[in-house]
Amino acid sequence: MINSKKWFAGLLLMLLLIVTALFFVRPPAGELAGVDLILEDVDVGDRRGALVDEIVFTQEADINKIAELIEGGSHQVFALGITNATTFRRIRDSVHTDHSISYGSSGEITINPAGPNFNDGRINPFHVPEIREAMNWLVNRRHVAEELYGGLAVPRTLAVSTAFPDYARLADVARAIELQYAYDPERARRVIGREMEKLGATLERERWTHHGAPVRLTILIRTEDERRRVGDYLANILEDSGFEVERLYRSAEEASRIWILGDPSDGRWHLYTGSWVSTLIMRDQADQFTSFYTPRGRPEPLWQAYQPAPEFDQLADRLQRRDYTTWDERQEMMAQALKLAMRDSVRIWLVDQINVWPRSRKVSLAGDLAGGVSASALWPYTIRYRDQVGGRVVFGTPSLLTEPWNPVAGSNWLFDTMIQRSLEDQPLIPDPFTGLYWPQRIDSAVVTVQTGVPVIRTHDWVTVEEADEIVVPEDAWIDWDAADQRFITVGELHPDGVKARTRTTIRYEDDYLEHHWHDGSKMSIADLLVGWILSRERAKEDSRLHDAAHQLAFEAYQRHYRGWRILSEQPLEIEVYSDQIFPDAEVMVNNRALSVSPWHTLGLGIRAEHNGELAFSSNKADRMRVDWMSFVTGPSLPILNRHLQEARADGYVPFPKVLREYLTEEEVAARYDTLADWHAARRHFWVGAGPFYLHSAHPVERSVVIRRFEGFPDRSDKWLRFARPEIPALDLDGPMVLELGQEAEFDLHITFDGESYPPEAIDMARYMVFNGRGELAHEGDIERADNGRWRIALSAGQLAELGSGANSLEVAVSSERVAMPIFATHVFATVPTRRAAN
Amino acid sequence: MTKPSPNKPAAARPPIGILADVRRIAGFTLVRIFALFITVLIGVYLSILIANMGGKVDELRLVQIRSNVAEAIRADPSFFDMPMAERTSLIERQVAMEEERLGLDRPFITRSFEYLYQAMRLNLGRAEQMHSDAGSRDVYDIIVERLPATLLLFGTANVLIFFTSLFAALYLSRRYGSGLDRAVIGLAPSSAAPGWFYGYFLILIFAFLIPIFPPGGMVEAPPPEGKWDYAVSVAKHMVLPVSAMFISSIFISIYSWRTFFLIYSSEDYVEMARAKGLSSGVIERRYVLRPTLPPIVTSFALMLIGLWGGAIILERVFNWPGLGSLMFQAIGHRDSPVIIASVVIFAYLLALTVFVLDIMYAILDPRVKLQGGGR
Repeated sequence: MINSKKWFAGLLLMLLLIVTALFFVRPPAGELAGVDLILEDVDVGDRRGALVDEIVFTQEADINKIAELIEGGSHQVFALGITNATTFRRIRDSVHTDHSISYGSSGEITINPAGPNFNDGRINPFHVPEIREAMNWLVNRRHVAEELYGGLAVPRTLAVSTAFPDYARLADVARAIELQYAYDPERARRVIGREMEKLGATLERERWTHHGAPVRLTILIRTEDERRRVGDYLANILEDSGFEVERLYRSAEEASRIWILGDPSDGRWHLYTGSWVSTLIMRDQADQFTSFYTPRGRPEPLWQAYQPAPEFDQLADRLQRRDYTTWDERQEMMAQALKLAMRDSVRIWLVDQINVWPRSRKVSLAGDLAGGVSASALWPYTIRYRDQVGGRVVFGTPSLLTEPWNPVAGSNWLFDTMIQRSLEDQPLIPDPFTGLYWPQRIDSAVVTVQTGVPVIRTHDWVTVEEADEIVVPEDAWIDWDAADQRFITVGELHPDGVKARTRTTIRYEDDYLEHHWHDGSKMSIADLLVGWILSRERAKEDSRLHDAAHQLAFEAYQRHYRGWRILSEQPLEIEVYSDQIFPDAEVMVNNRALSVSPWHTLGLGIRAEHNGELAFSSNKADRMRVDWMSFVTGPSLPILNRHLQEARADGYVPFPKVLREYLTEEEVAARYDTLADWHAARRHFWVGAGPFYLHSAHPVERSVVIRRFEGFPDRSDKWLRFARPEIPALDLDGPMVLELGQEAEFDLHITFDGESYPPEAIDMARYMVFNGRGELAHEGDIERADNGRWRIALSAGQLAELGSGANSLEVAVSSERVAMPIFATHVFATVPTRRAAN
Repeated sequence: MTKPSPNKPAAARPPIGILADVRRIAGFTLVRIFALFITVLIGVYLSILIANMGGKVDELRLVQIRSNVAEAIRADPSFFDMPMAERTSLIERQVAMEEERLGLDRPFITRSFEYLYQAMRLNLGRAEQMHSDAGSRDVYDIIVERLPATLLLFGTANVLIFFTSLFAALYLSRRYGSGLDRAVIGLAPSSAAPGWFYGYFLILIFAFLIPIFPPGGMVEAPPPEGKWDYAVSVAKHMVLPVSAMFISSIFISIYSWRTFFLIYSSEDYVEMARAKGLSSGVIERRYVLRPTLPPIVTSFALMLIGLWGGAIILERVFNWPGLGSLMFQAIGHRDSPVIIASVVIFAYLLALTVFVLDIMYAILDPRVKLQGGGR
């Protein structure tokens, strides 16, 4: 028998051995500093396509290994957004690692506004808008961001994200509201006290009671992340405010049954620690108010309990419908809605979370400001070693090949689409720092809108024009007849003619259809048409390709669609008519642009679905009890290969009545020959045209290999200017003490990497002066001075209006190159003139 | 014992005895199979109820479906200016379609018996959310795809642990109280920590500080193209997880077997054999191992079927694509068909093993007889 001493001694011995081993084998910290980093830019010469030769994706979900894997050199990039402060510090402190950041997630407090009484008769304090509004003063957002999120968050007060363009466009308004709702617990408790008494509650021994019973609040606290600490913090400050608090710690699923499914009038919860994610920069957040503050946001019971003030409700509705005629009107409406949202406060925004995306210091790439590396469209075009051209990069991702890949309705998992983006060449590419689109395969575009439709443009490759009316030509294609396999023209569908709110004319690059697919076949106009036809065919109930899951989304899209036509085949020029409006012309062009898909690979999938062997979408696959089609791995491949052999023998072309007009028999035969060679060499059917091609996929081993496509038409350095976000740095200087009656001048230096920021890239530079009571006294545009400097001048009269006291000068600057605005503050005192004082 | 009937001729006894034996064996077999079947049936149905939280999972799925649909529509610009009534109707249609696909439009109790019926027939069906890595939705494919990786890793580790501990225990049982014996006893508490705990240390030391083994995965990325290179790469990737499991189990395993053998080593017949001057090898084989064979075989068989589940945390630490991580994903997705399939296969394997062991006991141990046996 072993006695307890021996057990203990054994355990101790084991631990001792481990600690001793660690002590002897761990190199001293100083050795890590000896990393050879060459950060100079290298000449890419005439290289085309990607700047590295090969990328290997492997599955690695353990964030604790990241720093070591990068230091060990086995991995160079991780498509894994870190929100854990300890892991971040480990990455930050390593001399081998670098990182980029993104701001796509946000944290908030969702409030249950049901009432005034719950079904069991208890009062709900949060039914009162004033109490909800007071919560803004009660929570210390800076504490939440810096302490509870460990610095991996920035405070957020408003309904719009601090990292997205609307915040930058409304920076002055936003700043004023933020200051109005700055942390002020005394004010919060005063308001809460006043309103609680109106509800009939009394404060006894510093505890709120109602009809003799303590007022008890229930906080639904999510347990998986930092929100656990946020929930505890919230509970503590509410207990300090006199409430009895019950803390319900719940996981996502357990909590959702209560706060989403449950009836808020049952009073099972008062506050919930919510969080929302966006993986792309939302350039237009006008619909935020409807989504988050009105019953129109979602059909669930909680949303139906929202009772926004009529003015706010109407404003939110108009903003969502884009019911405004000028941009200025929209901005005014947004500013007003932001203020009303604070008064409504059915949710209290707390922070915009920062995600850290680690990588080796030797490697750089463009990460998206909202979605990080995994949502970046430009990562394949910008990834490179800083000290060399070429080489292999190993990418760690939390998952890959999560669902079957097919180009129609395949896997839409973030990490799968990240890889797929490197294999495709889209006509436009979103700017990772502003969300605005840049042309990749487009030469120019003209957006014509009905007079009074507010659309702005930022880049000069797009032109915006106005027209009193836009008539859709009769020969434009508006739909597809699945039975007769032909286009339906506008003239057929609308014999009396039809008008549209917008017309977008897109001229592609001269040699767009001269490019080649990865398998070596040349593109054709059939590649442009096949995707458009297939999308409609899948929405038609009389087609064997009909997919009920696709039909619903398609119907929503088709509501706005008014037709399109090809103006010219060489160079390719198309014209698209639609009633759908986006505030940015660049976004509108992206939404209208058609892209090419290889008809010969899609055709194999179409045959397989026709035959009832495979299905493009998960939903249809389940209904048909067949496999979800994969062009890359698994049981789909032999089926697709059989169809390749048959199609090759038959000279099969999908939708032949239309596509045969654009294809010769030789072209068809050549396509299948190249595809057969491709499949023989690569064992898959994923053919794209991006800077990388899919070399191999290993589903069980969890790895994917992509290699540089040497036939890619663009120079390798085409997109390198986006490797880093050019976030301006502000240096605001000026007098600290001013006598009333004097004039004052403040100096602002806007820089990036120590160099003056190009003034033409500054989108907005505004100042606001707040007096000693925190009221906005003056605001205006900042004047441009020489040498990249900017100047703020306050007249003697303006200073006099401030009176004596401590004032603050707030500066908000936004750049066309980065969506997020930057702020700076200068505090100064105004004192009476000496003569007056005497 | 029953006496033979005086009315029956003595010559007829042997055939009647054989028939009776056959009848008894057949009866025993049928009763045993029936009992095991009922056990499996109850076990599987309980698993179905537990995996679905008595039907509560339906609610969770509905919330998830609603949230996913609502968020997808919220994020899609095509829906921005759609009237609320139309948008709500669209959401409801989408939700209804997904409910129908997952069978949530039918009561859970009905579906639970369908699950049971299909499970007992080993018709594993289709997963609701998951796919095999290669892209198949058939539960059979999903499980079979991960099986080799699990068998390879856990089979190697467990066979290594089993036989090493068995022979080490036998060796130590003869050297009771020696320094080595005391050292093993002293190290036995180290098994209080699970394999993944040692895994982290091993990764830190042998993958990062002295990088001689890979920190995770089953094979290097991309996998080598040659078969031998592939095998070598897999072997290299197995070293650390196998070592972690070995370290975490070996000392307690040796200790258990050693104690077990010590009990048998002090039996009178062993002492008698020693007194007769038989060699220690003969004593071990004939007098210690032979009578302890049934528990050893039982332990080995249960160890083998214990491989079925893999080990969730260890597989995640070492990024090993086995059944443990598959179950982790299935639980995360609440994919009932995959969870149920895993349980039902384990239940059948366990029942089969128990049945085979019953028979093997009779072969291995002369003292074990069927109930009602004449000897």
